[in-house]
Amino acid sequence: MKRVALFGLLLLAACNKSSAPAPDAAKGGPPPLPPYQVRAEAPTGDRLAKGGDGEKLYSNHCGYCHLAGGMGTNLLTKQRMAMGEPPENGLLTNRKDLTADYITSVVRMGKVAMPRQTRVDITDAELEAVAAYLAKADK
Amino acid sequence: MKLTLPPRVSPMQFDAALKAFQGVVGKGWVLASDEDRDAYSDLYAPGPESQWPASAAVAPGTAEEVQAIVRLANQYKTPLWPVSRGKNLGYGQAAPRMAGSIVLDLGRMNKVLELDPELGYCVIEPGVSFFDLYEHLGREKAPLWMSVPGNGWGSVLGNALDHGIGYTPYGLHARNLCGLEVVLPDGDMMRTGMGAMANNKASHLFPMSFGPDWTHMFTQSNMGVVTKAGVWLMPEPETSLELSFDIPNEEDIGWVIDTIAPMKIAGLIDQNVFVPSWLGKIVLKGQRKDFWDKPSAIPDWRVQELLKEHKLGYWKVQVRFYGDENVNKAKAEVVKAAFKKHLSAPAQEAWWRQGEERNIYDLTVGVPSAVPLQMGDWVGGRSAHLGFSPVVPASSKHVMDQLKRSRKIIADHDVDFYASFTVGGRFANNINMLMYDRDKPEQVENMKKLFNVLVAESAKAGYAEYRTHLGWMDAVADTFDFNDHAQRRLNEKVKDALDPNGIIAPGKQGVWPSVFRDQSKEGRA
Repeated sequence: MKRVALFGLLLLAACNKSSAPAPDAAKGGPPPLPPYQVRAEAPTGDRLAKGGDGEKLYSNHCGYCHLAGGMGTNLLTKQRMAMGEPPENGLLTNRKDLTADYITSVVRMGKVAMPRQTRVDITDAELEAVAAYLAKADK
Repeated sequence: MKLTLPPRVSPMQFDAALKAFQGVVGKGWVLASDEDRDAYSDLYAPGPESQWPASAAVAPGTAEEVQAIVRLANQYKTPLWPVSRGKNLGYGQAAPRMAGSIVLDLGRMNKVLELDPELGYCVIEPGVSFFDLYEHLGREKAPLWMSVPGNGWGSVLGNALDHGIGYTPYGLHARNLCGLEVVLPDGDMMRTGMGAMANNKASHLFPMSFGPDWTHMFTQSNMGVVTKAGVWLMPEPETSLELSFDIPNEEDIGWVIDTIAPMKIAGLIDQNVFVPSWLGKIVLKGQRKDFWDKPSAIPDWRVQELLKEHKLGYWKVQVRFYGDENVNKAKAEVVKAAFKKHLSAPAQEAWWRQGEERNIYDLTVGVPSAVPLQMGDWVGGRSAHLGFSPVVPASSKHVMDQLKRSRKIIADHDVDFYASFTVGGRFANNINMLMYDRDKPEQVENMKKLFNVLVAESAKAGYAEYRTHLGWMDAVADTFDFNDHAQRRLNEKVKDALDPNGIIAPGKQGVWPSVFRDQSKEGRA
């Protein structure tokens, strides 16, 4: 519960303060916000061809919400902490339990706040590379 | 989602159209599986998603491919529903107004074609997201700021074309558009403004035309498909100063508007000033059940308790200045003095200076984010939101009039009241956010009833929505009733002249081509 409360404070600080670091950060208060996370540029070339760079594709296509400070990361952090996991597990790249099948299913079928992604948002070939990149449980 | 064909199109004809589209874009960019149809449906649909079903999607990569698809659609009589990126959350997302329309997804067309740091504009394609443009400006080290809406996942052009708003001095996004390239419903291509002259050097600089300017014929419109446009960008300020005020009481919104609007009209304040009520702040602190554990609307006594517990005012006013430090200081003194007449607590001040990171969650400094959508978590489950968004004159008389009306209607439907006003000058956009759990049918039905009453009663009082969900496009269009709906007659005449086959976005904003007018009763929420 304490962690959940702290996370709430972080969000509060995020929403009420300007770019200056939170004044109480030095006193052990909520950590300052992460800076804007620049996504990797979309790889050039045929988006329908297999064998793309999963890390870059993840950053570019999923980075809208799933990098530090993103909407998906914020919601997942809350969710994982409620399950007794460390807040770092809010980032999908830190998860050890993901499988390629699960990722593919959530991306295409959606889950709670996560909208279904079209095949223009992320092609099947791109999704295959992203799923392989995130699926540490399959390795 | 099962396949719903466009009206009066046979399965064979539909199949032939898709094959013809494949010939233009390649097989991989015609998307017609059940899963694809689901992905193009409305995540926040007020009711079943199957009420607004797309039959397929086709994704061109160039303006020439858009022309070819539009010509083929005329040949096969298969209507298209163009989307830039299809992230119009709360207004229908990528789903079409008319069942069976084929989504023309322009998401692949995502090039920044031109960037001019000196004159402060770019020329972009519809698939460019707010994140894409922000990162492009960063990579090019262009000292320019964007204006962003609540959902940075979406398209810069799509948002501007749908009259979206942001919170910087460039917050009226449709006003930033300058020089559109448009594929007309017969597949012809034209450019608006000075761009109507081939190779004109001021195509994206002069905001009018020689002769009639058609630019805004193509916003919130089904008269053509915009394939690229100039967008004006704001020079990066040397400094920025934000003043924040917590405004204690609900009725204080009257003097707040009367204080801000004259300074905005006079140019002392140049941003769009966003004034959210307390709920806008608390939605990010947890879920509704953490604050009020009953399904009924949060009662006033509990609201007062929450404001005390969380040290919140009923309203939050954040006024931001952009530019030279001394000018910002001087402007701030004027605003502080004006607020002091009504409020004893001093403003909180926060400076930003060139070279510092910008707050990633502060929309007034133009950083794109999808985090505002997190408010959906407030109600839990498969949460969704609808925005009831009438435009009111920026004066206390009208603001209080509309506030009292919508407040009472929303309370009568036992729904939480979450209002905001964005002062854009002589007017304010009053967005009433209605959040609901899509898995609770009784909540969805209640929201629909509530929305219908809000539209009808506000119209009686002389206020209309500036933008709405697919399911109310006709109801809101009906409220524009001067001279027995003269605007509708004009829209329909123009639509039928330009688009006799009704190919482009039939029903968008309540404008129906004669060929599909019989469909207008369907798909109403």
